[in-house]
Amino acid sequence: MAPTTCFNCKEARAVIIRPKNRHKLCRACFIEVFETEVHETIIGTNLFFPGERIAIGASGGKDSTVLAAVLKTLNERYNYGLDLCLLSIDEGIRGYRDDSLETVKRNAVQYDMPLTIVGYGELYGWTMDQVVEQIGKKGNCTYCGVFRRQALDRGAARLDIQHVVTGHNADDVAETVMMNLLRGDLPRLSRGTSIVTASGGSDIKRSKPLKYAYEKEIVLYAHHRQLDYFTTECIYSPEAFRGSARTLVKDLEKIRPSSILDIVKSGEDMAALVPRDPAAAEEENTGGCGSQNGRTSGGEMAAMEKQLTENETAEAHETEIQLPQKNTKNTIKNPKAVKSQTLGHCERCGYISSQRVCKACTLLEGLNRNRPKTAIEVGMEDEEGSSTLMRQMERTQLTNS
Amino acid sequence: MPAKELSCPCMDCKDAETVFTVRKRQLCSDCYKHFIAFKVHRRMEMYRPGKTQEVRPKVLLPLSLGVSSSVLLSIVEAQLQYQLAKPYGKIFFDLHVLVIDPSSINPSSASIDENYKVLLETFQLPTYTRLSIHDIFDYVPNMKEIICEYAGSQFADDSSLSNEDRLSAFRASLSTATSAADLDYVLLTRLVAAVAQKNGCQSVFWGDSDSRLAARALAGVSKGRGASMTWQVSDGMSPWGVRFEFLLRDLYKTELLQYASVSPELSDIVISDPPLSDNVLTKNLSIDELMIRYVQNQGAKYPGIMSNVARTANKLESSCLDGGASCALCGGPRGNVKGNTGVTATTQSGDSEGSRFCYGCMRSRPGLKC
Repeated sequence: MAPTTCFNCKEARAVIIRPKNRHKLCRACFIEVFETEVHETIIGTNLFFPGERIAIGASGGKDSTVLAAVLKTLNERYNYGLDLCLLSIDEGIRGYRDDSLETVKRNAVQYDMPLTIVGYGELYGWTMDQVVEQIGKKGNCTYCGVFRRQALDRGAARLDIQHVVTGHNADDVAETVMMNLLRGDLPRLSRGTSIVTASGGSDIKRSKPLKYAYEKEIVLYAHHRQLDYFTTECIYSPEAFRGSARTLVKDLEKIRPSSILDIVKSGEDMAALVPRDPAAAEEENTGGCGSQNGRTSGGEMAAMEKQLTENETAEAHETEIQLPQKNTKNTIKNPKAVKSQTLGHCERCGYISSQRVCKACTLLEGLNRNRPKTAIEVGMEDEEGSSTLMRQMERTQLTNS
Repeated sequence: MPAKELSCPCMDCKDAETVFTVRKRQLCSDCYKHFIAFKVHRRMEMYRPGKTQEVRPKVLLPLSLGVSSSVLLSIVEAQLQYQLAKPYGKIFFDLHVLVIDPSSINPSSASIDENYKVLLETFQLPTYTRLSIHDIFDYVPNMKEIICEYAGSQFADDSSLSNEDRLSAFRASLSTATSAADLDYVLLTRLVAAVAQKNGCQSVFWGDSDSRLAARALAGVSKGRGASMTWQVSDGMSPWGVRFEFLLRDLYKTELLQYASVSPELSDIVISDPPLSDNVLTKNLSIDELMIRYVQNQGAKYPGIMSNVARTANKLESSCLDGGASCALCGGPRGNVKGNTGVTATTQSGDSEGSRFCYGCMRSRPGLKC
């Protein structure tokens, strides 16, 4: 059988079947089509302005590496006039982040972009390894998610940059739509799909230029451009709802490859139909780990099921006395909306928060309450070298005398 | 007289043996039926005539002769009978039942002649219409042109053929199971809405169980029809000026099956669903089937979460949809919903620009392989 020619240029031999629409393309055309689509996304949404300074949230994984490569290419090709730099968060997960940070460091050289690394350790006094040691693997993604959000903002603030781009792809967005539908979280459904998310009222905005790019195509792009990226996923626990949503999205993609984009489209439309809630700004789903970006423990599905069953039973008990009018109102309005979120500043760290004390500080307080033990350990570790030295010197002195 | 000796008395009447346990309540079959029916009655309350009401409304109940819609008919009819039996009894609304022959949708299903006969004898209060899916050409006059335009070059319409053959030719042109299932549902909805309009019905009472609604919400979202959720899953006004109500939205499929099992009058009416086969490649399923399976599997473990999906979709506000152009085929909004600033999902698909059809319908077009 004669080799298939490229659907696009009709000349070169097709080597790629595009996951998005099963077009058969040659290598050069695929790379061009992929880049053009990202360019269209950027232009169509007026994502950047000339001269804007952009921090690329870089984890060393495929998504952020491709994002950095594509943005660099497009910036030069279409004269966006952007000043690009890399911003990495060091969660302090040994065997995962230290290796991936090496990749980011190489990327910084390859793409000729300045790199800044902000560590959980320096920001919060806790690395994720220490957090996990303290609280166990269950629920640690909550800490990581909350911390990362602030860390990216603080890193950007340190660089005096107002715009952080992240490598979230279409699969991530589709998963988020499905996940929020499964857990009945309308406020997040309404803001998870938009390409730009204002960062909780702060000046720093977040955007995801790869929002319409398929994960599979990102991998293909990285492969065909021979980009240097890191493949291991985070070693800590996955999250139940996202896990379930992910399996579902993967199955859907098998049936109809376009369904990932279709879900994104549905999500965008439904976002416009979500009853308006002035509170919509705070803590939207963040995450740069690309895999989980969860904020919950693994048993969340079971826990929510339990709660729903209890609500159900409670409702069954009270139906006779409930006023029907009140009842309908309750179901329509989001009960969370009652907690009005006037955005202010955390009284401890000054970060934007709807609460008196921001989420990160609350979590830190819980961690620090049990700290003395750990604090001593850390101190020991830090001073180990010198204290051993001191002891040795003492010994020498003793023998000398 | 000593009380009856019951090993496990019903929690409500305390006078009969427990047959079912529903949501942590042990009930006898009568109390069980009462419990289920009450959930439907509560949703029917909004049809209680007000003082100013002059004309009694009319409601259409599409009946597939499956378990859910048959149980709904049984409950609604019983309630109307109860209203009639009261002194100076007045019913809340007139009921019209539409039966769409399942064999016209799925040729492998058995004839429903016997079931239909029993149905007419059993429930005498409503009026009835029996149709086939291809009658849509009679009820929606411009449907032929719409379908031809929609299918494009992939489908050559032959006007000498009967309605039935023309529709099956169109359906044969759809290349994937997902598209076929998607368009069957679109056409069915159109037919039901058209029959409702023609019979002067203000509302349609759909017999979808909670599980089915959850599956529909997930499938709709997966097919790019998120904006249509406001009437495909939520109670509300449909694009055809008829209200769609889902009275069984609080009830799981298993509960409806149990209800049917203790309702002898339904036994000769209901056509039971064929069981889902186990060894099917995911790839060959339609998205609708995949979601039905997903909801069934997950629902066994997390029934609350699955019912919460339908409840969440029910919270979307249809008012935001007003005024936009609508799809000639499915009636859903065309282009982007107002306020949706996401531009590129639509434009990147390219082909839905400037067409009379919505994004979701364009995805199911004949000839599209993916």
